[in-house]
Parts: sequence; structure tokens; C-alpha cells
Amino acid sequence: MDLVDLIAEKRFLGQEFLTWLWWKSEERGGVVALPEEGDIVVVFEKHMLLEYGEGDSNESLICRGLQTELQEARTGLVMGKKLEQARIQLAFNDYEWNFTMAAALMEFRNVKLPKTGGESGNDNDPEEREGMVLERIYLFEELIRIVLGLYRQFLEVRVSDGWRDELLRVREWVNKAERA
Amino acid sequence: MGFIKGTASYVRFGVEGELPENIWDFIADRVVTFAFKDIDETYDEDSIGWVSVTNMFDTDFEFASYAAGNYVTLSMRLDERKVSAAIVKKFAQKEEERIKKEKQIPKVSRSMRVEIKERIQNELMRKALPMPSVFDLCWNLENSTLLFFSTNKKAQAMLEDLFRESFGLSLIQQIPYICGEQILAEEDAEKMARITPDVFV
Repeated sequence: MDLVDLIAEKRFLGQEFLTWLWWKSEERGGVVALPEEGDIVVVFEKHMLLEYGEGDSNESLICRGLQTELQEARTGLVMGKKLEQARIQLAFNDYEWNFTMAAALMEFRNVKLPKTGGESGNDNDPEEREGMVLERIYLFEELIRIVLGLYRQFLEVRVSDGWRDELLRVREWVNKAERA
Repeated sequence: MGFIKGTASYVRFGVEGELPENIWDFIADRVVTFAFKDIDETYDEDSIGWVSVTNMFDTDFEFASYAAGNYVTLSMRLDERKVSAAIVKKFAQKEEERIKKEKQIPKVSRSMRVEIKERIQNELMRKALPMPSVFDLCWNLENSTLLFFSTNKKAQAMLEDLFRESFGLSLIQQIPYICGEQILAEEDAEKMARITPDVFV
């Protein structure tokens, strides 16, 4: 299968991951435990985009607001829409990132890197500049590494026999929105 | 933008293909060969090539300024002359009016109209100033991945072409399915290939 077909046919993987991650983070009050890494703070905030349908019949729903106001997005899930984009705060090991994840293609958008001490360096000094560049690269890659760790956790459940039970719990959480 | 300063948007690619043993010499040669060439003083429609991530006028890359540890950091610069369709239409119509008056004819033929439009388009294109766009990238030589700091699909396609032309290597966007193939055990990856979308309500 070529990449274009793969993107179209498998876009649900990223969207299901993002929805699962939202549930997973709310299950423990904004914390997801990652094996071998420890607890990761994952908070869904401010901005979400849900999708429904494909191609010409594609509809989207944008929800903005604070965490507690994401009820509308949950209702969107009840209607069968899928979570395509979400603004996430992720914290791990004293670092905190804010980013928007575009799920179908796993794009990292508007990534705000953790604050570090190395930002006030002298741009004209090649060594300092290289150090600054390497630090930023580390932070970009570290975010990917953690997200891939979470994604792997999702996939391992998703392809296992345990998925049925997990899905029941996600559904229960989604349907709570309807009753709320 | 965003690689060097501020907030950033990026996508991850896998780099596929073999690099020669003397990697840094090869990269030095290829980067300079495919460095950006200025078209401000020419009539070329567009130009694309590599520039330094910190200075879009730096195409010399002194002291291998693109190297940072085991990473290659570059910007893809594209300069393009563009004329809006509305402007072409306006000046083509103006020229048609002028010709009608000069030759004292009621209307210009279809073939003449095509010729006028083409000529006007070329003239305006020559006068247009090249518009620059710069897109940063960071290539991890150790694990053969690349971060591209734009989610623009057209820019991504241009990057894939320029990268292949420059280094003879292919870029494969790391979409969730492909990531899954890499991070899962073989057995699980095979299962992933067979799953279909689930309903979450």
C-alpha cells in the first residue's frame, strides 16, 4: 500500500490514540503512568477539533475553553465524531511542554518548549549557539519520545485481547458526557 | 520557523537509503552543491536550495555551520516570483483595449487574446520581486530521522524532492501507522495491520 492510501485508511489509529489518551489522562486526574518512565502529566486543554465523516462529507467541530468546559467535545464524541486535534500540556522530569497534536498524521503543532536556563546565551558565539540548538533539538525529540511511549502503550492494548474491556471503560466515560 | 526560536510546528520523517562512509564530507559537498542560488538579479521564476538555519543569506556554510553534534541543521529556502491572476487579467484587458484602438478593430481574436495574456504574464513575472519562504529541518544522523518545521503539505513535497536530489535519500513521513510498525513487537505490528476502526460510544 502506498503512503497516500496508508494515510487515508489508517488515519483512525492516530485519532483513536488521541481519544484514548484523553480518557486515560482523565482516569487518573491528568496523570498517565508510562512503564519504565513513571508518571507523565497529560492535561487536555483549551482547544479541540473533532471530525466526522470523510472526504466531501467531512465535518468538523471546534471546541475552545478551559478544561472543565470541554463537555461539548465529549458530547461530540457521543455523536460519533473523532478527536483529530487537541491542545495538550505534558509534563515529565521537570520539563513542561504545551502543544497541539494533529492526530491523523501525528503532527506536533505550536509546540511551546519547556523553559530552560540556556536561552539567554550569546547568539554570536558559535559554541553557545550550537549548545542552544542541541538543547532545543533534545526537547523536540524528547516530546516525540514520550508521545511515542504513550502511543505504544495504546497500541499494545489496542491489538490485545484486553482491548474489549478497555473499550468498554472508554465508552462508559464517553457516555457519561451525555448524562452529565 | 520555530526551530531556533519561539513556538514550533513540526513533523517527523524517516530517512531511508545508504549514506557513504565519509558522511560529513559527503554532506559538505552535497549541501554546497545544492545551496540556494539567488534570483534577485535574474528573470528566473523560482529557485530552491539550502541555506543556514540562522541566516537565509548564508549559502557558504563556513566551518560546517550546519553541523550540531550528530545532527545536520539546514533551512530549505524557496524564492518565487508570483503575479496574481487578477493583475494579469487587468493588464491583459488593458492591452487588448490598446490594440483594439490602435488597429481600429471591434474585438481581438481568441488566438491573439491568448498571446497577449502570455506576453503580459511574462512581463509582469519579470517585474515581480521574488518572495522568499524558509523552512527549517534537523536531521538526526544517528537514528536516521528528520524533523521538518512546517506542516505545509506543498513544502513537505518540495523537501522530499530537494532532499532526494541532494543526498540520494528518501523521506518517509512517520504517520501513526508507520510509527506503530517501528515501536511494536513484530507480532503486535502484524495484528495492528489487521485492525479496523472502533466505535467509542
